Amino acid sequence: MSVELKLSRSNRIYRPDEQIEGKIITKFSSSISHYGVRLTVNGSVNLQVRGGSAGVIESIVGVLKPITIVKKSVEIRPSGKISSGTTEIPFSLTLKQPGESKSGKFYETFHGEDISIQYLLTVEVARGYLHKSLSATLEFIIESEKAELLELPISPELVLFYITQDTQKHPLLSELKSGGFRVSGRIPTQCSLSCALRGEMTVEASALPIQSIDIHLLRVESILVGDRIASEATLIQTTQQIADGDVSRGLSLPIYVLLPRLLTCPTVLAGPFSIEFKVSIVISFQSELSKLHPKSDPRTPRLWLAMETLPLELVRTM
Amino acid sequence: MVLVLAIGDLHIPHRAPDLPAKFKSMLVPGKIQHIICTGNLCIKEVHDYLKTLCPDLHITRGEYDEDARYPETKTLTIGQFKLGLCHGHQVVPWGDLDSLAMLQRQLDVDILVTGHTHQFTAYKHEGGVVINPGSATGAYSSITYDVNPSFVLMDIDGLRVVVYVYELIDGEVKVDKIDFKKTTAPQSPH
Amino acid sequence: MADTDSSEPAKSDAIVVKFRARNYAAEATAHSLPRVPADLHPLSYAPFLSPQVVAIDEEKHGTLDPLRAPCRSVVVPSKDLENARRASKPEISGSDAAQLLGKEWTTFKRFLVQKFPPSKTVAVSSIANLVIGSHKVYEKSNAHLDELDDPQGSAEEDVTFITQQEYTARLSDMKTDILSSWDAGDHFKSLKLSVKVARLLRDTDLLQFYPTLFTQVTDILDMLGDMVIERIKRKAEFTEDGTQIRALPEDFQARDVCSEAKETCHNWFCKIGSIRDLLPRIYLELAILPCWRFLLDDSTDVIQRLLAMMRGLGNPLASAYCHLYLVYSVQKLPARHNGYLITCIRDISLLMVPIVSSKVTIEDINSESRQVLVHLMEPPMEYIMKCIFKDHQQGCNILAELGVTRNLSELFGEYSCVSLLLHHLLKELPPEAFRSNILHILDLIERGIGSSFDQCVNFRLLGFRLYETDAPVEIVNVVLERVIQDVSQYQDLDSYLKVVDGYVDIVLQNQMKIQLEMLLEGIAERACNKWINDCELESLKSVFIKILSHTKCLENILELNFFAEIIDVMRGTAKNAINMRLLEIATRNGYIRCPTTVQFLFEVGQGLRNCNGFLSMLDSDNQHLDRLLSRFVHMVDFGTEWELHLTFLIEFRANFASADEMKETLVHRSNWLVMKALKDSKQLVSFGKSCLAFSEATIPSIANPVKQLFLYLETAEVALTIGLVCHSDGLIDSAICSLQSVVGGTPLDVDRIICIIQKLCSLLIMVPGNPIRGVTYISKSLLSLVNSNALRITARLKVRTLSANIILLAALSQHKLPYSPGDMKEVPGNDLLYFDDPSYQEELASFCRHLLQDMILAIKEEASPITRGSLALEACNSIASVLEIDDNVLCICNELMEIAGSCLSKEHFYLLSTSKLFVANHLRNLSV
Repeated sequence: MSVELKLSRSNRIYRPDEQIEGKIITKFSSSISHYGVRLTVNGSVNLQVRGGSAGVIESIVGVLKPITIVKKSVEIRPSGKISSGTTEIPFSLTLKQPGESKSGKFYETFHGEDISIQYLLTVEVARGYLHKSLSATLEFIIESEKAELLELPISPELVLFYITQDTQKHPLLSELKSGGFRVSGRIPTQCSLSCALRGEMTVEASALPIQSIDIHLLRVESILVGDRIASEATLIQTTQQIADGDVSRGLSLPIYVLLPRLLTCPTVLAGPFSIEFKVSIVISFQSELSKLHPKSDPRTPRLWLAMETLPLELVRTM
Repeated sequence: MVLVLAIGDLHIPHRAPDLPAKFKSMLVPGKIQHIICTGNLCIKEVHDYLKTLCPDLHITRGEYDEDARYPETKTLTIGQFKLGLCHGHQVVPWGDLDSLAMLQRQLDVDILVTGHTHQFTAYKHEGGVVINPGSATGAYSSITYDVNPSFVLMDIDGLRVVVYVYELIDGEVKVDKIDFKKTTAPQSPH
Repeated sequence: MADTDSSEPAKSDAIVVKFRARNYAAEATAHSLPRVPADLHPLSYAPFLSPQVVAIDEEKHGTLDPLRAPCRSVVVPSKDLENARRASKPEISGSDAAQLLGKEWTTFKRFLVQKFPPSKTVAVSSIANLVIGSHKVYEKSNAHLDELDDPQGSAEEDVTFITQQEYTARLSDMKTDILSSWDAGDHFKSLKLSVKVARLLRDTDLLQFYPTLFTQVTDILDMLGDMVIERIKRKAEFTEDGTQIRALPEDFQARDVCSEAKETCHNWFCKIGSIRDLLPRIYLELAILPCWRFLLDDSTDVIQRLLAMMRGLGNPLASAYCHLYLVYSVQKLPARHNGYLITCIRDISLLMVPIVSSKVTIEDINSESRQVLVHLMEPPMEYIMKCIFKDHQQGCNILAELGVTRNLSELFGEYSCVSLLLHHLLKELPPEAFRSNILHILDLIERGIGSSFDQCVNFRLLGFRLYETDAPVEIVNVVLERVIQDVSQYQDLDSYLKVVDGYVDIVLQNQMKIQLEMLLEGIAERACNKWINDCELESLKSVFIKILSHTKCLENILELNFFAEIIDVMRGTAKNAINMRLLEIATRNGYIRCPTTVQFLFEVGQGLRNCNGFLSMLDSDNQHLDRLLSRFVHMVDFGTEWELHLTFLIEFRANFASADEMKETLVHRSNWLVMKALKDSKQLVSFGKSCLAFSEATIPSIANPVKQLFLYLETAEVALTIGLVCHSDGLIDSAICSLQSVVGGTPLDVDRIICIIQKLCSLLIMVPGNPIRGVTYISKSLLSLVNSNALRITARLKVRTLSANIILLAALSQHKLPYSPGDMKEVPGNDLLYFDDPSYQEELASFCRHLLQDMILAIKEEASPITRGSLALEACNSIASVLEIDDNVLCICNELMEIAGSCLSKEHFYLLSTSKLFVANHLRNLSV
């Protein structure tokens, strides 16, 4: 006995003003009676505050009340019978009526460390008190509706950056401090989610050979707790190495980062919470010391590391 | 129409360095269908050279030949003719007509080709024809030191044979021909 | 008179033997076929004169053509084919091109593995250490929460402490795992495993093993790539339930692909894009590079981006092989612009600069491992260069577009280029592009970065290419002048020789004697007064072999300055090879007449012989040397300076003649010398004696009695020809002695012994009878030889010897002998010596009677009927041809014919022809 949900789009991406279409598939060994087949859409922002390295308020730990974006329930079939074997029940659901108020803004789906924005579709076949209801849940993904998109592909506004021994706030290896290094590059401040983050950088000089250069994408999730803001920056699991070994000096290295779905969304600055992103460039120099700390967090300042972090605004474009 | 080159007694390199250049330029691959060589080549290189002129090469053994595989005598049939081949140092006396006739009877051939005397001869007797192509390099022989290089080309056509004699005299190639026909039954059985 | 058998006379009187009189000259004239001059003959040059011969020639061509035509039809159409192929190249269907590419790639990979064979002897621990060493790096990367990292199945941990074979085995296990998880529908796991495999390529410390690893890894990646493409293609062509909705044409465009398939494709690129490490990320994208076709029509940007990403690979080895894989993968895309290849070359060039440039010292890399590294990086460069010029026309177009045909430095930057890269460019550059850039290339070589080794190799290659592309002489002159100047800086003989090696051919081809001598002088300066190492010797040998192969005439070489000096400093096998070649050249074209040359070659031979004593040369080499020396002896000809020639032979024997073959040659030569001298002057008794003495002294030292025998006979003939009868007698005696030992035991078959005896009998006709020994003395010695009880004496040998002697006796009895030595009157034959001497005739006849009886007895001894019959016939023929046939003889003949008739078939042709002859002779007798 099983109930399954299947959406018309295999990637399960819908815009708020689109119909969500699909079918409910039941597989029964014998026909069953039911009190109706209901479909529920539930969209919410889930917030959680943890104590962490950021050293925020440790007393307030716990889950905050989720913010509902949408909650809707529709009866697809009135009570009756579903025959044995496989039965497909098609459905079509409107998330947002054209006339509906804008109070519930449809944020894009996002799964972060502390904040998650999730849209779930649940089907329930109620079978009275004697039998347990049959149900199935499926997550679908919301992307901003067309009307809200920036009309033109953004022309990337590039920010120039320089990383030298003098831009580092943490202590460096003495050779680095004295010998110096200089890495320059440019990277956009704004990036479309459907495009890759493209930039470039050049190792102009370095007293020590380079071990690796990595690009880290960070998300900064902030939640309003009372009158304070709990903010935490975490790594998105999209670290990209752009240099492996001691690269040639003066050669421009491309930065090319594909932004992962679900783990990124357009930068959100809502009242109770905000989701922002940052790009961090980490240069590791070859050093015997680094081998002693093989598993260190790349954001931890170390003697053999140099880094630069830049804000990045993510947007949804056409 | 078959061309048979009869050649022998080259004695390379013991008595001559190579074939005369004028002969070499005349002997080109592809023209000749058979080569019969009486022997005394003496080294393998000469064998290989002849093989390039025509792959169908028949050789009998002269006393100075290194290659022990050459037979003392050999017979082959070309068209209507049966040919016998022998170097001739075994014939007593060398080049004697009666003795050659005896060998010819023994081999049962129409044309016997022998060498050793290094002098071109062509005899006809009751049993058939005996040809000696001479020495192709003009090497000295057991009985003469003054030899004109020569060889023979036989054009066998039905019952008719034209023997062309190529002789190098004072640096010029002189070509003679001898024409003979096979009598219908030269050795008809009794 | 000689002693006669006392017991025989009574019996022998019973038969009266009378030799048939012969007139050899008259018979010859009578039977000679008439000769007429032939203006036209089959070998004539003017076949068109006679219609008949035209026909012949046409036929000859007709028979020729089937042989010749194929080669022509192979040559000509193949060009057409090639053109056709070139012309139709764009039309070649994608799958064909893909197949071709696949084949080429397989071949290349095989070449790679062969070039760097995974050595089994490498210590297990060192490999294991390398693997462990790299393992730490992997761990570090694992620390990142890499989306694609599978914490359970960590391949890196498994590959610790294993040998190369195990490494390979582990890889093929991985391949199986990838396949099975793909088949199970777990594409994500397949990808994860593939990433692990690709990551192995980061471990460049494997060095020699790296190319093998590369082939194995790319093999797996290609497999994955193919599966992904197939899957996406299937999505584009079929619905989920397997019904086909459309078929993608071979040259499909991105718009032909449905969004579902595009979505899947995009997902793959996203997944791969999120691989943390740069190298596996690039490799994986390359593996599925053809998938870009589903999304984009023009993948130029993608290729450019990938190339740019590769700049992040700091390790030159990893980068080079990654470029290699890129170039291979890009060829799978349909339309492409080959400009990326130039970028590849530039990038690799940049990577190589620090490795090859001597100024920059890289820590941890000593010069030896640097060489290994460079060596390892060569195949990718070679492959890419080949791709650039794969299609000559296209290659040139690329060059032209980049302005490279005008200025090659575009490819390499303004002032410098890596010699090694230049080397490969030079190797692949099409002839036309090469010809228009010669001087520019020379500039580049002169300024090239890299060790002088690389530079000299490039100089050499330039030389080779000049030679093979038929560069104009003016250019050659300029290049030579500059190169000679450039290499004059080289102190090192080895490098210098390498360069010279490249230019020898062209210098010789253009007969630039001055330049050649300049080069030789350079060699001499560097080679003399120094110990030349083996490598240099090899180069020296190569140079000289080239010089020699261009030389027609030895004198031209001997005239060269510095030639002899350099030869002098050479040694060992290299010197031997040169010496051998010198001898070969000297003996190749006719006679050597110049005494200086002979002397030089004599010394060359001595050098070879002496070396031979110290170094253990192969037997085949030894034989070759003997042959060459023999040939040298044959080719020496001092014209009429016979004495000088004989002196040479004597000297040669003293120095070289250890082998039989050589001594044989010397005897032949000395005999030839006598005959030649005789032909030229006719007055040379004392010189002849010297030569004979030389031969007589030389022959006994020959080990093989058969050779001895023939040489004795030849020398005897020569002695007879010049009238030195006492010498010939002695030589014939020696010959009979040798014959004795031949009969005694040499593995020589009976037929050859018979031939020798027959020849000897023919020779004896000319030998004047010795009054003291008796005229039949030699015959008797021969007969006593065959009558001895040695095992090898067969009836056949006996009978033939007897019949040869009977014929000999008959010939001796004639008024005029059939031939005389050299047709000269100086040596009186028996016909003159015993002219009209009845006792002489009587002796011949009585001896003949004796032989006749022996012969009949001998025939009866033969056990085999067939042999007995043949021998009887032979005997009968001999008798009939030399004896007057009276009743006695007839009686003997009848007896023989009866034997033959009883042993042979009645239809036997020899029996028939003999009886026919017998009838004819009998009739002739009657008529007389």
